[in-house]
Amino acid sequence: MSAASTAKIPVEERLFSLVLALLATENGLTKNEVLSTVQGYRQRFKPGGDNANLERQFERDKDDIRDLGVPLETIESPGQAGNNQTLRYRIPRGAYELPGDITFSAEETTLLNLAAMVWREGSLSGESRRAVMKLKGLGLVSDEPVLGYAPRLRVRDAAFEPLRAALEKHSIVRFAYLKPGEAEARVRQVAPLALVQHQGRWHLNAEEPDTGITKTFLLRRIVSPISLIGKTFPAPTGDQTARALAELEEVWDSHTAEVEVVAESDAAARLHKRRGTVTLPSGALRLHYSDANIFADELAGYGPEVLVLSPPELRSAVRSRLLRTVEQHRAEQRVAATEVSNG
Amino acid sequence: MAERRAPQQAQDKLAFLLSLVPFLMEHERISVQDAAHHFGVSKQQVREAVELIAVSGIPGETGQYQHGDLFDLAWDDFEENDQIVLTNLVAIDDAPRFSGREAAALIAGLQYLSALPENADRMAIASLMTKLSRGASTPPSQFAVEGSESDETLALIRESVSSGVQLEFDYVNARGEHESRRVDPLRIESMDADWYLRGWCHLRQAVRTFRLDRIGNPRITAEPITTHVGDVHLPDALFEGSSDDLIVTIDVTPAAAALIADYIPDGAVSTDIGGLKRTSIRVSHYHGLKRLIAGLPGIVTVIDPPEARRAVADWARAGAARYEEN
Repeated sequence: MSAASTAKIPVEERLFSLVLALLATENGLTKNEVLSTVQGYRQRFKPGGDNANLERQFERDKDDIRDLGVPLETIESPGQAGNNQTLRYRIPRGAYELPGDITFSAEETTLLNLAAMVWREGSLSGESRRAVMKLKGLGLVSDEPVLGYAPRLRVRDAAFEPLRAALEKHSIVRFAYLKPGEAEARVRQVAPLALVQHQGRWHLNAEEPDTGITKTFLLRRIVSPISLIGKTFPAPTGDQTARALAELEEVWDSHTAEVEVVAESDAAARLHKRRGTVTLPSGALRLHYSDANIFADELAGYGPEVLVLSPPELRSAVRSRLLRTVEQHRAEQRVAATEVSNG
Repeated sequence: MAERRAPQQAQDKLAFLLSLVPFLMEHERISVQDAAHHFGVSKQQVREAVELIAVSGIPGETGQYQHGDLFDLAWDDFEENDQIVLTNLVAIDDAPRFSGREAAALIAGLQYLSALPENADRMAIASLMTKLSRGASTPPSQFAVEGSESDETLALIRESVSSGVQLEFDYVNARGEHESRRVDPLRIESMDADWYLRGWCHLRQAVRTFRLDRIGNPRITAEPITTHVGDVHLPDALFEGSSDDLIVTIDVTPAAAALIADYIPDGAVSTDIGGLKRTSIRVSHYHGLKRLIAGLPGIVTVIDPPEARRAVADWARAGAARYEEN
């Protein structure tokens, strides 16, 4: 076959042919068998020649297929452990096919379509788009079109994608973290266990390999790129996200503040609607929060509409933030800044 | 490296092929049009996928892709009538599982939407999540979103949206003013932890966005809505600029620029000023600006115009003064 015609075999045709071939084989195919017989490879295969490029292509294709949730399995030949040439590849049907007892009602399909709409950016939008595609393959039509909703979950933190990848591969990560309330960032080296969004913010739950202590980090406060140190850790057992969320909830539950709000103000309307808010007999509000420094930022935004009564550290944190804002917006400073930019 | 860019699209196409085959097996005969409608893709995409399936198969015993090793299609029906009838099937018997990440994305989406009235049946949602986990080829990835309680305001708005009647409520705007609004509710939107109603405001005679946590005392009326979704332009972006917007010059610490990304207009020029990023943001009025800036202390400083700086300084000073009185 000429080079021109081989170049025309599209990537999806090669990947599709690979899935079909590996699904159909009971005993598995060796790499050599794949490269020499499967559509999209065989046209480029050189019998007895150097197929290094094609082998690398096969490695990447395996990753791309596994990414889609196709369970591509490697079997070692008896007595030939570690020999790459005799490894056999296959896709076990039972692990590939959706179990027969899993069906989704029209109502459930509506909910799942809505859940998929939530992710509109980043790689998770691709994941949910493909999940919906698979749902549609089951032939169901939802009972009503999802109208009237446009939900959005965003992942603005640059650390999210690299952490998610590290989480799946159980890789130890290293990053610089600016702990709320501290002025200097410190380098942390941890085993990532779960990524959870709590109160609108993404958190990493991770274990310090040296101490075995689990800690929670705010993604927004990670101030360096995520780097891998080339070490992995054993996959944790149990539902790490549920544990991480429960830990955050416990912290949120145990921290309360009392604040006075100006009646009928924006602060009164919104803080009243915050989850868990209690109006005290005095008219003051009791609020829950996770982190004093972060909550202080939020309360400072309300300016004179909020007065923090307790705890003292939150009170002084809000006050010092307001004073800092005043300081940074003095009339004379602007002149200085303008001079700098002109000079 | 150009080939590394291709997979995203190729993976989507592969997911389509692997989903389309069992669907076609289920429907012995289906028109291209119906299949396209079902999958929400173009007819051309369906035709291309079917053509590829029809010539695909397995190497077979000979390793030569013999006739019986390939899918086959009633070509005449396909080419003349745009009907799909697969006449030979290979390798695939059933729909594929979800990937661990796909399952996790849907589970997290369900968790996020737990405040919606549609998700009020917690048992049903839990069983749906279990099915997703069991239907994945690997355990769902470890990311999740906190669930939320059902919200009465949300339920009421949902009811008015689906029955197409006007909604009345008290609204506190960013200026802190109270107004009674009558709105044709069009769409419920959210951005992370915040929920909004988009609707035609009879007071302003325009489409407006209302924060749910600023809505008080919502009442469903018997009046049908007068402006429908098709009558107005509802942009995808939750916040869009208007010609009345004020442009304010700010300095922001570069690491925190993402926090105000929504306010930076397209084409805004950024310069580096002593390690800070100087750029401009768009606000509808200084009442919103002062709240935004005071809530990002030490991160964003307003540079220009002087009235904007003064609005922020006055707001923060009034806030700090409350601590002097006590």
